[in-house]
Amino acid sequence: MRSRRLLGTLAAFALLAGAPATAELPAGDEIARRINARDDGESMSRTLEMELIDKRGSKRVRSARVLRRWFGEEKRLAFYYLSPKTVEDTAFLVHDHSEVGREDDQWLYLPALRKVRRIAARDRGKNFLGTDMSYEDMKNETRVTRSDYTWKTLREEACDDTVCLVLEATPLDAEIARAVGYGRITYWIDPAMWIARKVVYDDVALRHKKTALLSEFREVNGIWTVHVLEVRNHQTGHRTVFRSREVDYQTQLDPDRFTERGLRRGLP
Amino acid sequence: MGLRAAGHGLRGLGTGALVTLATALALPGPSAGVEPPRASGTVEAEWAVGFRNTRAQKLELVVQPELDWSPSPTARLHATGRVRLDAYDRLEPGHPHPVEVSSLSRRGFAGDAADFELRELFVEAEWGRTWLTFGKQQIVWGQADGLKVLDVVNPQDFREFILDDFDDSRIPLWTLRAEVPIGEAQLELLWIPDPSFHELPEPGATYALTAPRFQPPSVPGLVTRVEPTRRPRRLLADGDVGARLQLFVSGFDLSLNYLFHYDDRPVLEAERRGDGLVRFTPRHHRTHLLGGTASSAFGDLTVRAELGWSSDRRLSVDDPGDRDLVGRTGELGYVLGLDWFGFRDSLVSFQVFQSLLLRDRPGWLRDRLDTNLTLLARHELMNERLRAEAIWIHNLNDGDGLVRPKLTYEWRTGLSVWVGADIFYGRGDGVFGEFDGRDRATLGFEWGF
Repeated sequence: MRSRRLLGTLAAFALLAGAPATAELPAGDEIARRINARDDGESMSRTLEMELIDKRGSKRVRSARVLRRWFGEEKRLAFYYLSPKTVEDTAFLVHDHSEVGREDDQWLYLPALRKVRRIAARDRGKNFLGTDMSYEDMKNETRVTRSDYTWKTLREEACDDTVCLVLEATPLDAEIARAVGYGRITYWIDPAMWIARKVVYDDVALRHKKTALLSEFREVNGIWTVHVLEVRNHQTGHRTVFRSREVDYQTQLDPDRFTERGLRRGLP
Repeated sequence: MGLRAAGHGLRGLGTGALVTLATALALPGPSAGVEPPRASGTVEAEWAVGFRNTRAQKLELVVQPELDWSPSPTARLHATGRVRLDAYDRLEPGHPHPVEVSSLSRRGFAGDAADFELRELFVEAEWGRTWLTFGKQQIVWGQADGLKVLDVVNPQDFREFILDDFDDSRIPLWTLRAEVPIGEAQLELLWIPDPSFHELPEPGATYALTAPRFQPPSVPGLVTRVEPTRRPRRLLADGDVGARLQLFVSGFDLSLNYLFHYDDRPVLEAERRGDGLVRFTPRHHRTHLLGGTASSAFGDLTVRAELGWSSDRRLSVDDPGDRDLVGRTGELGYVLGLDWFGFRDSLVSFQVFQSLLLRDRPGWLRDRLDTNLTLLARHELMNERLRAEAIWIHNLNDGDGLVRPKLTYEWRTGLSVWVGADIFYGRGDGVFGEFDGRDRATLGFEWGF
């Protein structure tokens, strides 16, 4: 951990050496490009524990298995609930197309109906299955949707034990802002990993909406991986803590896992 | 009678269960690191009280234990049981006689207040890229909610009319299912050697069907008698077969469906012998069902469509000149559904369901074209902790329908409570209006373990 922090600090200084002026920081779009260029493995699976905590402190707990695989430029993500029993086998599948302007294809398997339902993908800002992350946030994982925003580097700033690049993303137009539910997103990017350590979300009226804190960065199969994510919604007082375990980038996932049939069949 | 029925249930359970377990034992042996069988389940209770006379319809406790075991990554054994206790015994007064269900799949009874059932017991295994599932299971086809066109592979128990969740009211059948990938498409093949049919409530039950279309036509001057149902009983010869091809093309989920099956609702065939009696014998007849589904998303909308053509439906006719008072016709049914996600955390879903009898003749007990509309409005609050929804089903022909508001709250992890109502309205001879006096409030909980 210490060596990673040192690496991060050195990388930040390498980028910023002798450059207090904002103009010498990497351009916003370049930072966004580097975030998306980060190696996150062709296949990934992990178990996700989620604590949903309301403003009174009442907690609900869920666990899910998350599978992700790249098919060329298209990313497919499958999310299978493991517990509690009342939502077990509920599953969500998204085919995230790379073409600009093409909406994703999304399906939801509801075990109570035993049916896979097609769901509209336009409302990307909807809370993902009761958590404080949106469908868009969950789909992107640590990446960003570059084509939806203008990117601006604001400053460098100390964050945790390193120096982060502070990056502001503004939706290109009102329609995108409405769809994603954000009028502005501010990222604190660790240039050693090109992963955000902190993200602040403002709603379309630019009121403070959510803060996401990412922590417990560890290398898994040579890939930097966030193990804890806490998202707090300042408008509702609700927060969600995500904890990842059993992260695996090496096992090549069966393409069938990312089909409607795989969704219906559930996890082996 | 209760013990006898219980015995039938156990004998049926034994035969099928033995075959399934034998199949399970033939699966590849457990490999190192295989997890032990996992037990889980749900406990659900619901209290339903009539509005008009505050007479309780049910106070029910349902326990569904489940067992899952995967001896290898490509094989799984799954079992679900159900024990149901009802303090009032008004949905199925006394001991019901589920003669429409084969002894392989029949429920067992313990006294008037309890029934028990093996809901599912199947083995699933991968063979090449083909998945085979054998055992007692539910097969769900179609895209429609609340009303059925293609979702007719399994029969249904109507002890609570259509108020119970389909997952609970569908009657699982012993089925061999193969799912074969063909390129990007998937072919599903079914063989169902289990001749079982709808369970309809007996006279005197809270939701006994009394609408004219479910009754024998009256014959002036003759006394009517309904004989016991002649149910097909040959396991192999009377089995159903089906196929479904599913594919995803240009953003559309498509399916083509075919089912050669017996109509799950018997037709009442009349016989006049000149002794002043007209005897009606309920019989099931085979029909070919051919259809398909399509769905896709367009912005905030998803569109669902389902179409089914039945080659040979037989329905009662009120036509004294007809020898057996049964008319034969093809039937076309379809559903068109729109789901709108335009309001955040909300869903508004609208469906048009139409059924057309293709033959025009006098005496049909229902209109040739029967139209139902459904509207579902759902809103989720408090990070999906609280769900408010209302479902409205309206029949245009009879002007009757059903409204079902419901609030569900997730009290804590795995424990949900709800309060709701089921409100019928309309003419007494309508499918929904016949239950106009059965409006009820419900209160319940479900806990998973």
